[in-house]
This record gives sequence, C-alpha cells and structure tokens, in this order.
Amino acid sequence: MKTLLKTEKLGKIYGTNVVLHDIDVEINQGEIIGLIGENGAGKSTLMKIIAGVEKSSMGRMTLRGETYSASTILEANRNGIGMVFQEQSLVSNLSVSQNIFLGREKKFRKYGIVNWGKMNVVAKEALENAGVSNVEPNKKVETLPFALREMVEIAKVLNIVDENSKRGSIILLDEATTVLSEEEIQILFGQMRRMAKLGNAVVFISHRLDEIMEICDKIYVFKDGGQTAVIKKEDANLDLLYSKMVGDNNSSEYYVTSRQTVAEEEILLSVKDVSRFGEFNNVSFDVKKGEVLSICGVEGSGKESLCSVLCGDLGHTSGTIDVSGKKVNLSSPYAALKKGILVVPKDRRDEGIVGLLSIKENIVISSLDRLSVGGIYISVKKCNQISENWINKLKIKCTGIEERINKLSGGNAQKVVFARAIESEVPIVILNHPTRGVDVGAKVEIYSLIRDITEKGCAVIVLGDTLDESIGLASRIIVMKDGLVTGGFDCQADKKPTQIDVIKMMM
Amino acid sequence: MKKLSEFKLGNLKKINTESISKYMCLISVTLVVLIFFVINPKFLSLYSIQNMLLEMAPLLLLAGGITFVLFTGGIDLSAGAVASCTCVLTGLYIDNIGGWIVPLMIVLGVVIGLINGFLITAFKLPSFIVTLCATSIWKCIALISSGGGSKIIPLDKRYLVNWASAPLLGIPVMLWMTLAIIGLLYFIQRNTTVSKSILAVGANARAARMAGTNTVKAQITAMTICSVCSALAGVLYAFKMKSSVPNIGDPLGLMAIAAVALGGTSLAGGKGSVLNTIAGVATIIAVTSGMNIINVHALWKDIVIGVILIIAVFINSDKTGKDVIIK
Repeated sequence: MKTLLKTEKLGKIYGTNVVLHDIDVEINQGEIIGLIGENGAGKSTLMKIIAGVEKSSMGRMTLRGETYSASTILEANRNGIGMVFQEQSLVSNLSVSQNIFLGREKKFRKYGIVNWGKMNVVAKEALENAGVSNVEPNKKVETLPFALREMVEIAKVLNIVDENSKRGSIILLDEATTVLSEEEIQILFGQMRRMAKLGNAVVFISHRLDEIMEICDKIYVFKDGGQTAVIKKEDANLDLLYSKMVGDNNSSEYYVTSRQTVAEEEILLSVKDVSRFGEFNNVSFDVKKGEVLSICGVEGSGKESLCSVLCGDLGHTSGTIDVSGKKVNLSSPYAALKKGILVVPKDRRDEGIVGLLSIKENIVISSLDRLSVGGIYISVKKCNQISENWINKLKIKCTGIEERINKLSGGNAQKVVFARAIESEVPIVILNHPTRGVDVGAKVEIYSLIRDITEKGCAVIVLGDTLDESIGLASRIIVMKDGLVTGGFDCQADKKPTQIDVIKMMM
Repeated sequence: MKKLSEFKLGNLKKINTESISKYMCLISVTLVVLIFFVINPKFLSLYSIQNMLLEMAPLLLLAGGITFVLFTGGIDLSAGAVASCTCVLTGLYIDNIGGWIVPLMIVLGVVIGLINGFLITAFKLPSFIVTLCATSIWKCIALISSGGGSKIIPLDKRYLVNWASAPLLGIPVMLWMTLAIIGLLYFIQRNTTVSKSILAVGANARAARMAGTNTVKAQITAMTICSVCSALAGVLYAFKMKSSVPNIGDPLGLMAIAAVALGGTSLAGGKGSVLNTIAGVATIIAVTSGMNIINVHALWKDIVIGVILIIAVFINSDKTGKDVIIK
C-alpha cells in the first residue's frame, strides 16, 4: 500500500488565531479516511489546505513522495486531488454537463464552437462512472433535487481527478451526506469503496459518527485545531470517539462559574411550538430572569435559524413567542429591540460592527431612542460620556471614542458590540458565538460581562463557540438535532453535565 | 536597512492619501479660484463674486439634500427633475397663489420623497432604479405643465420674487436662506437619532439592521430630506430666473452629486458631512463661472463636471482594499 499524501506539523493561522496546528495525517492508496470533531475543530480547514483553497502557514505536505502545496483548486486538481464542498458549488442555471466540464470545455471545442452533443455523451459516461444513472446531462441543475445535485458534484470531481491522475487520486468529501437520503448515502458509500479499490483514497467529513464508523478505515479526531487521536476501524466505538472529540479539560474557573446566577421565577421569554418550515419544528422553551440558556447542536441542527427567528431577522411559520407574558411579533431586529431582545451576531465583520463608523456610534446605535429627547434629539455630549465610560470599564484598547471600529482587534471590537448590547438595557440578550475569533484574555472578560448582565436580571441565550463554552456558561442547556429539541440539562454551577453527555444528544 | 526605508515610504504614502481626501474640498476650491484668478483677475471682481454667490444658493440646497441620500449608500438621480418640476410650477402659479406657493412646493417635495422612500424600502428596489424612473416622470410633468417652453413671470408680479436675489450685507438673500437650511441639515446630521441610523445603514446595512436600527425610517427620511431640498432648489431657480424653465434641472443632478463627492462624502455611504458639501459646491460653481469668464463655451461645462466627478470619487474611494464596504 503506497502512501499518497502525508502532512507534517501542518498548521494554519488567521491573524493571531491558530485554527489548525501540528497535523500529521497519512493518506494511503485504497483507504477511506474519516475526519471528525466539533464545529470549528479544524477539519474543513485541513481539507481546504489539501485542496488548494487555503494556504498552510506551518508545516509541510508530501504528495507521492514529493513536496506538495497547491495555491488554487485547479493546481490541486492537476495533482489528482479534488474536493466536494460543504456548500454546493454548481452553477444552477447551467446544464449538468456544462457544470461537469465547466472551465474544461476545450476538448469539445472546434473553431470556437462547443459541441454540446458530444459533451452530453461524455458527461453521461462520467455520471455513470459515479453511479448516477438517473440524471439527463442536458437538464439544468436548478431543476434537480438537492441530493442529485450533490451526486452531480461528486461525479464532476471524480471526472476531473480521474482525467488528471491515473496514479491514485484523492477525493475530499466535506459533509457530503447531510442532504442525502439513506438510500443515496449507500450509493455514495458504494462509489467510495469502488474508488478506494481502484487505488484512490477518499477523505470523508461527517457529523454522523455511525456513518464514519461504517465506511472509514481510519479515523482522525480533531479538537480545537489539534489532532487528538488516530483510531483504526476495528478499535472504534462511540464512547471512544466522543471522549477523544471533547478532550478532558476542566474549566469552571475560566467561565466564572462561581458567579453563575440562579434563575428567578419570572419568565422573560417564552417560546411555544415555534417552527420555521424546513429548518426546525415545534421548538418550545422558557427563559427566566437571570438565566443563561445554552442552545447546543451541530451545524444544520436548526439552532442558527432559531436564533435568527428570535432576534427578528427571520420570520417563523408557526407558533408563538411571548416576552414578559405578552405575545410579540418579531418582524425585524428593530421590532425585536423594541420588545426587549437584542443579538450579538455571529459574524462580527459583516453583522456585528458597523465598520465605517466610530466606536462611539457603534456603542449608542441600539440605544438611540432611549438616549434621545422625544425620539428625535440626541446630545453629542451624552453619547461621548457613555462611550468614554464603556471604554474605561471594558478596557477597550483604542485611540479614543472617535476611532473607527474596524481598526480595532477582534477582541476589542467584540467588547464594543457587548457594550452596545448592555447599553441598550434590553432584558433578553442573545449571544451568537460571543467569543468567535477573540483571544483568550478578552474571552475571560467577556465571560465576566455575561455574569454581570445576568446578575442585573437579564436573561441570556447563548449559542456557544465550543461545546465547552456552552456548558461552562449555561445554567440550563437545550440540545437540538435535525431541527428538533432532543433534550435538555440543568446546569447548576456545581453540577454540570459532561461534554460527552451533551454530544451524545447532538449527534 | 532596506526594510526600514520601505516602511517609511509606506507610512508616508498612507498619510498623503488620507489627508488629501480629508482636506480635498478646501484644497480644490482654493486651487480652482487661484487658477482662474491668475488667468483672468476679473474672476474675483465684486460683480463676479456676487454672481457666483447667487448661483451657489440653489445648487447648495440640492447638494445638501443629496448628501443625506449618499450617507445611506443610495443615490437620488431625480433631484434635478424635481427641481425642474417645482421651478415650472412656481413660475406658473406664483401670480395666482403668491408666496403660498413655497410651502406648497415643500409639501410636494415631502410627497415625492415619501413615494421614493416607500418604493425603495417596501419593494426592496435599488434607489438608483427608483429615482431614475422618478426622473423621467417629474421631468415629463415639468414639460407638460409648462407646455414645453420657458414662461416669464409677469412684470407686475415681479415684486414676489425680486427680493430673493437682492443682496443683504453683500450676500444674496436666497444664499442666506440656503445657508440657514444647511445649518438645519447640519443640526440634523449631528444631533438627531435618525441621522445616526442613516449613516449606519450606509456604512453596513446588514450590521445596522442586526443592531436594531430602524432602517426603513432611515432610508425614507433621507429620501424625503433630499426631495424637499430639491423642491426648494427649484423654487429658488424660479425666483432667480424670474421665469419657469422646464429643463433647468437637467444638468443639476450630476453637478450636485459631483459637488457632494468633492466634499469628501463617500458615494458608497456611511461617511461625510453636509458642511463639506458647501466647499464642494463652491468648487463646482467656481469652475463653471470661471470657464464663463475665460470664454470657454458653455456647452463644454458638462464634460468638465463629468471629469471632476470621476476624479473626486477616485480620491475618495478605498484603494487599499482593507476596509471593504459591506452592504
């Protein structure tokens, strides 16, 4: 069995954040390899480095014995490495065959005219090669159901890689099964096995551990950008995989658990049977005064869209939401703010900070009506004072309140967004990945801030950046899976559930 | 050593472009005035200055209003057409209605702004398209109601309009009025909640929405401010020309946008100031009047304005690519 690709101490740094480090992976001919880990553990980043989407910042890779690095997908393709992406990358208004040969039409071209008929014939072969027989190559991709699109994409990558390398190719599948039905998954697995038998290698990411254990010969476990274990198929069992995924760090001090508040009786937010068609169904829960509710779940579990519904960014299709006992209509984030709900968004650069504006303007923007006289006049002096206070209180590193917020580091910018949320004095704060891209020092400060606001009687809903964080901050947890609430835990400060307990319900 | 020198060069460059866009309005207006003065000293004669100040008034109003729309990252192409329309209506009906025409035109401006704002926010249409269509509508109304040609305000009614062009302390009354309105606009920009929302929407519409700002109100308010200013500008043109001119606004929209851009307000939204617009307008007026004085044919004016706009936008645009503007 020949080694195809080997990585040594491979790593990736974004700014000051190490998202991947010390990765030693060996991909051999004929192997199907599984990568597992929580969201953000670094699996996708590794795949992207191998596929030429991202450049590594540390370490090296060898491909068939020679040093390898690819700076574009095409370069990786030429080396016999192809990737099927998590988000679909087909052009929906082109036909299936046009998509399969997108950018490679040359061989069907004569005098500048493409022979579509010939392309369709070859595309048909390519599809059959990948075990897809029920797709007409001249159909437009937008007319196909999602599962078939995924199969077309796989056929495309197979074809590209086959064309470029007869010496053993590597196919990377990033969560390729999430939109497929059980039957289609089995077809895909059949194809994966066939490809492996032909001397290729397949790397497979999935959140479904049963799938991973079924198909993979070797499983790499990732946590926080590092590689925690390599497990052979025969040694793998669920408990082992769970424990390697979550590690064994105890971090109650880190999350300021000593200041965790006990929820009061008063219910601030009550969600009853709320659904959003196609995303989540019949979700119900209450959040009490002084409580931190963590919503756990993998990507695609519906927790992100639930969060968008609660902050007024998306509408829901059924169910009711009550704030302080009154039914509310959260038609926009503005309406939600009026009712007392504000979100600290997940994507800080695009949704959190208003980049061109100053720190001051970013802090007061959610409190304009409250700080104004009659909703119209707002005193510049008052705004300045408030902003000065926050900068001193949160020790925000900046040149002054007039500095543009996009000049700040991630942690400082996030503190400004928190200052905005607290200044708005809403009773219900939703924190969507509150510490994403924030350095450790700022993280601890943000955790104390969360304790501050619950002590003041706010209710907080957290979608944690890691499972550890979700449990550490929470006074109660609900777990979502495939759009449904699958369970919950009470998290008293001295009696927290383990990560394994929670992750078992998530996957 | 090489590294150090490179670093210094980089730093120098940065300071240069930043300060240029900051003080560009002042630099450009001084430069333009100086050039024309050197070519023909008559450029700064009392008569010429008086004339320029009179010219400035309506354009300043127009540009002041457009500044707010540009703050939101939108654009109002219909400002000139609205001015044409109110200019015609003022000229036609001032002898019947008298001074009451002015508040009527303000109401018309409010209505136009509300319609524009409603179409943009309710149907999520780009302001570019909405105001482009509005342009053709208001232009057409101006032409229809005027019968296609200019009409002079009868001599016996001139007393209704003459006062506006008369100087008060050396400055035409209509410029005083305009400056007062600019002062009001500056107050709105600095001290009202809605202007904070307007700037936030322009800087990052998505983040502004998530932070709970009333983005609908922000956009509608900006469009309304702009249309009211345009409507008033049209009234001033009628007062100044002492007649109704149905095509007066045709070149004005572009001139006003160029003036705002020269003032350092970003066409991409989110930053700028109404006060800077004054210098921008002064520059544009100095250029057009200056060309007149050095005997360049009036028809060349638009070419120059077009080139100025492109240069102004270029200097203001973000060339580092570092702070990508997200809409």
